[in-house]
Amino acid sequence: MLKINRTLAALAGVALLTTACGGGGESGSTATEPEAAPSAAESGVPTRGDADLVIWTDDLKIDAVKKVADGFGETNGISVDVQAITDTQSNFVTANTAGNGPDVVLGAHDWIGNLVQNGAIDPLQLTPDQLGEYSDVAVKATTYDEQLYGLPYGVESLVLYRNTDMVPEAPATLDDAFTAGQAVVAAGKAESAFLLPVGEQGDAYHMQPLYTSAGGYVFGRNAEGDYDPTDLGVGKPASLEAAKRIAALGEKGSKVLSRSVSGDNNISLFAAGKAPFLLSGPWAKGDVEKAGFGYEIQPVPGFKGLAPAKPFAGVQAFFVASKGKNKAFAQEFVANTMNTPEAMQTMFDMANLPPALTALQESAGASDPDLKAYLDAANAGEPMPAIPQMQSVFEPLGKAYAAIVGGADPVATMQATGKTITDTIAS
Amino acid sequence: MVQTLDTEPTQDLLAPPPPTGPTRISVLLLKVLLLGTVIGLAFTMLPTMLSQGRWGYLVALLLIVVAIVATYATKRGLPAKYLLPGTLLLVTLVVYPAVSTAQVSLTNFGDGTRTTQEQTVAQIIGASVVQTPDSPRYNLTVATTGSKTDGPFAFLLVDPLDEDVFVGTEDGLEELEGATVDGGFVTEADGYELLTPVEVNQAASVLGQFTVPTEEGAIRQLGIRQAFEGSSPLEYDEGAATITNTSTGVVYSVQQQGDREFFVAPDGSRLSAQSWRANVGLRNYERALTDSRISGDFLRIFVWTVVFATLSVVLTFTVGLLLAVTMNDPRVRGQRLYRSVLILPYAVPGFIMILIWSSFWNRDFGLINDLTGLDVNWLGNATAAKIAVLITNLWLGFPYMFIVATGALQAIPGDIKEAATMDGASGFFSLRKITFPLVLVTTAPLLVATFAFNFNNYNIIYLLTEGGPFTPDNPQAGGTDILISYTIRLAFGPNGAQFGFASSIAILLFVLTGVIAAIQFRFTRALEDVH
Amino acid sequence: MTSTFDPQAGQTVPQAQLTRPSGAAPATAVPPTPYRLSGARWWREVGWRHVVGIVAVAFAVFPILYLVSAALNPLGSLVSTTLVPRSASLANFRALFGDASRPFPRWLLNTLVVCVAVTFVQLFCSALAAYAFSRFRFKGRRLGLLSLLLVMLFPQILAAVALFILFTDLGEIVPSIGLNTLTGYILVLCGFALGQVWLIKGFFDAVPRSLDEAATMDGAGHATIFFRIILPLITPILAVSGLLAFVGVIGEFLLASIFLRDTNVKTLAVGLFGIIDADRSNNLGLFAAGSLLTALPVVLLFQYLQRYIVGGLTAGGVKG
Repeated sequence: MLKINRTLAALAGVALLTTACGGGGESGSTATEPEAAPSAAESGVPTRGDADLVIWTDDLKIDAVKKVADGFGETNGISVDVQAITDTQSNFVTANTAGNGPDVVLGAHDWIGNLVQNGAIDPLQLTPDQLGEYSDVAVKATTYDEQLYGLPYGVESLVLYRNTDMVPEAPATLDDAFTAGQAVVAAGKAESAFLLPVGEQGDAYHMQPLYTSAGGYVFGRNAEGDYDPTDLGVGKPASLEAAKRIAALGEKGSKVLSRSVSGDNNISLFAAGKAPFLLSGPWAKGDVEKAGFGYEIQPVPGFKGLAPAKPFAGVQAFFVASKGKNKAFAQEFVANTMNTPEAMQTMFDMANLPPALTALQESAGASDPDLKAYLDAANAGEPMPAIPQMQSVFEPLGKAYAAIVGGADPVATMQATGKTITDTIAS
Repeated sequence: MVQTLDTEPTQDLLAPPPPTGPTRISVLLLKVLLLGTVIGLAFTMLPTMLSQGRWGYLVALLLIVVAIVATYATKRGLPAKYLLPGTLLLVTLVVYPAVSTAQVSLTNFGDGTRTTQEQTVAQIIGASVVQTPDSPRYNLTVATTGSKTDGPFAFLLVDPLDEDVFVGTEDGLEELEGATVDGGFVTEADGYELLTPVEVNQAASVLGQFTVPTEEGAIRQLGIRQAFEGSSPLEYDEGAATITNTSTGVVYSVQQQGDREFFVAPDGSRLSAQSWRANVGLRNYERALTDSRISGDFLRIFVWTVVFATLSVVLTFTVGLLLAVTMNDPRVRGQRLYRSVLILPYAVPGFIMILIWSSFWNRDFGLINDLTGLDVNWLGNATAAKIAVLITNLWLGFPYMFIVATGALQAIPGDIKEAATMDGASGFFSLRKITFPLVLVTTAPLLVATFAFNFNNYNIIYLLTEGGPFTPDNPQAGGTDILISYTIRLAFGPNGAQFGFASSIAILLFVLTGVIAAIQFRFTRALEDVH
Repeated sequence: MTSTFDPQAGQTVPQAQLTRPSGAAPATAVPPTPYRLSGARWWREVGWRHVVGIVAVAFAVFPILYLVSAALNPLGSLVSTTLVPRSASLANFRALFGDASRPFPRWLLNTLVVCVAVTFVQLFCSALAAYAFSRFRFKGRRLGLLSLLLVMLFPQILAAVALFILFTDLGEIVPSIGLNTLTGYILVLCGFALGQVWLIKGFFDAVPRSLDEAATMDGAGHATIFFRIILPLITPILAVSGLLAFVGVIGEFLLASIFLRDTNVKTLAVGLFGIIDADRSNNLGLFAAGSLLTALPVVLLFQYLQRYIVGGLTAGGVKG
């Protein structure tokens, strides 16, 4: 009859062992936390969904949002809870439908179409004067069906990074960049001429500058200037020309583009000094700076003799949830507290995104040439289409690019993809 | 003392237990205490359920309490006493969600159809409000002449340009005399009680409906401290279920387009992309079974799914068992160390390692080509990608089999092994003829479960290859796609999330896996093995 | 190459003697006294095991080595990481413990709380049910066993929305088990409380019924028999299933990412994914360091349980 004790001892041992690990791990943290172990659920969560203002964002922006939101909470004497969420868009739509979502959510402007078709966000009522403070592309991007749905705080677009130790001269055209890059590879100083993420799945976003410079477009615009889902550019003659150019740069052509370069490794390859050029956005800057070689940033040039490259501009914005429990505070926070130069400055300082506020663009861009390049590129870019039909485009178009870079027939691939997308949109 | 007991002759287990004395009381007390706690807990939940009108949950709660009391307060149903705890959890947390998934499969629930028709109308009209041109943006103080939660409310407004003060009620806007204005806001007014920001927020559901009618439209609250005058060109006619745009005169009526309804103008254009939830019967199943794209890809993907799941089980089990047998010799020094290292792949969360592995397979920059000196485009070639998936899954899965087999080996009586050795059986022979079958008997159900798990192993496919590589003519079905990764792409891909369709697929896959597993069971006769 | 250094041999023998029914032959194959094997025979009987072991270890460990190398690499990027660490900086580990907005110790604690709680419930419910399936004959027994397996086959990933709605409602009735609470998350994982029934049942079947019967004669109630006689006999498989349950929970990501939103209630899986999701190439080092620390509890648990698992070497002999 000693056995039960033994089993219990084993289980207790497991518990002890694991809590001991936990205790050990705690040492770097505040002293009050370990005691929460048995009842973490009750005591560990000071503010749940019932805070007076709940905001969803991601890991990169949470500190910045928290700072502004805490100030807002103090002013109004309310509790504020800022949460970092993964897969924010779909989690938000599901939670909002269930009445269990946040009051404010941060996201990219191209979510708007999907959020609106799910009735998940409310429009904002900013006066024309207030809107005039933001850059044109930011306002254009956050306006949908003639209503403003998001308060923009950041603009992002693709730029061209160059390792000046390898290529001192800024290229005037894409062709110059490819030639210079190939020369560096031929000299054995780099492994890759030009880092543009393709991967096995393709990447339509990063290919967009090349595609547009060669004449391609995704959606045309209707009379009101909105994207028109019935006018699909993929499969049209210009897109076939663009596809041929991309094929010529691919694995069976000049090998400038390769499926081995993907979104997972392109930035670190550049930072490791393995290539002279990188096509990426502001998010790459941290790594590039740390890398320790000279670099320069410029807007992506176009092909020689063709149209300028038009990368997509992505605008980061604050949205007000339609079924939040604290809609009054949500509107107040977004329209009056975030919509101030001070709050925008905090967002810029702490979240480190090129700002959308024009005054801030000018003051911050004046002393920072890198930021100036990001802003120039974004302000000249086309907002990414926010219409829900865009969901039908990126995946097949990306896969088409991957196939073309891998050596598939560019014309047939592009035509087939155009048909696939048209069929999906129609269904 | 156990040893001496074993010599007793076999007895009928159903014989009534002999009466015993003193322990009964403590057991009884414990029982009463536990059952009392259950009932007490249930009672504490009752008021909330009643006040929120959650009848379904109330019934469920009562059923659970009755089941617990009936099982443990009586002497009947001995097996039930052992089965109830796990079964309750299983039914409420696995079976019930599965059943509600089946219900969702009969609807068109998904992106664009998450709301009810009523909510959709409210959302469309609400989103169409625009500020009246050149109208002021008022500084707002919310006040009440009655209750702070239910009203009647009044907006005390200050025009920031000329500091004119107004009061707005449901009857309209008029000038307000004798109010104290400080910093552009009304801070005191006779006959009105002012609301704090928190109170304004709490009254949001009532205030959201509150508007002050004006000639140009209506004044609405905007946040806590502002109000604006605006109007919507849209009007909803509930009887006719139409929405009219009063500025253009276009009438939008409900029409079916695809699997959902929209408000559509006579020329066929939609007022909004927002539709609403509706029952569609078996249409999702019909679509899954008849879609030409699905039927075109199905056979190839199904075959690979079966091959993938089978090989995953066979490879991990073989490697795991062989290693377990190899390490199961006490003469091997450092046995403990070997075992500890061999389970390492199992210790790191799988999704993390799959992400790492996916970088290993990169053609130019990956570790695999680097270490082996090969130049294979692992993830770009369908066959190579399949091999990569299998090797990765072997790495992830063999420690599980190793642990299970190590455990199972212990159950093999030593004398059988000894007998085999004495008969002069070679190591391999005894492994094949004695160890393997015995281990298989214990682990057969686990192998079936592992097969089923891999049959629907979305993670490894999604995180390693995303189903790729794809051929240019078919971006829907990739070279390593298994049924679940393929159908999830269809259900959550190009047309947004389609939960109704996804749920029908879940049910179909469930049936398919179940049938296969049941056949395998027949085959292994694992059930027959236990009397 | 003697067996005297085998730490398990000494520990498990007494246990085996307590539990082994009399009359069974000594089940252990462990030679009681050290002896030496000739070189060739050693290779044939023991040496090859080391060869196989080393090959297997190499296969098992190289991705882990890479993870270690990434964790020690202060640059923390995919490309700058090699199999053999080029630097040994603890910067990533320090960063893990020094960033208040990413409270790694808290995540670790949450994870362990969840793992221990769910493992306990799973073992308890599974052992109870397995005993019923093994010992009692009742209507619907075979159907129950089969449907248990079938229910587990339901593709959970597609039921996530239903669970989400269920817990939204539950949270409104009892806030402490709603979304965004550890208790709610623990509860949802307890849905698989019967996950280990099959494994444990197999071992119950191996415990001779004569034990129960004798105890019944002795006047013990069924609960006493279960808790005091049967359960201790199956310690090895409890250890195995405990480990399996623990690992199953520690890597759970899908539901955690939907259920746990506040930084303070996150588990390691969600928290770490947030790190890599935000910036995949930049945060690899941090991510790797966190992953290694996640593996640590499992390794320690296995270390601790190993003697129970292998202890069955002798205890399991009861079947004979």
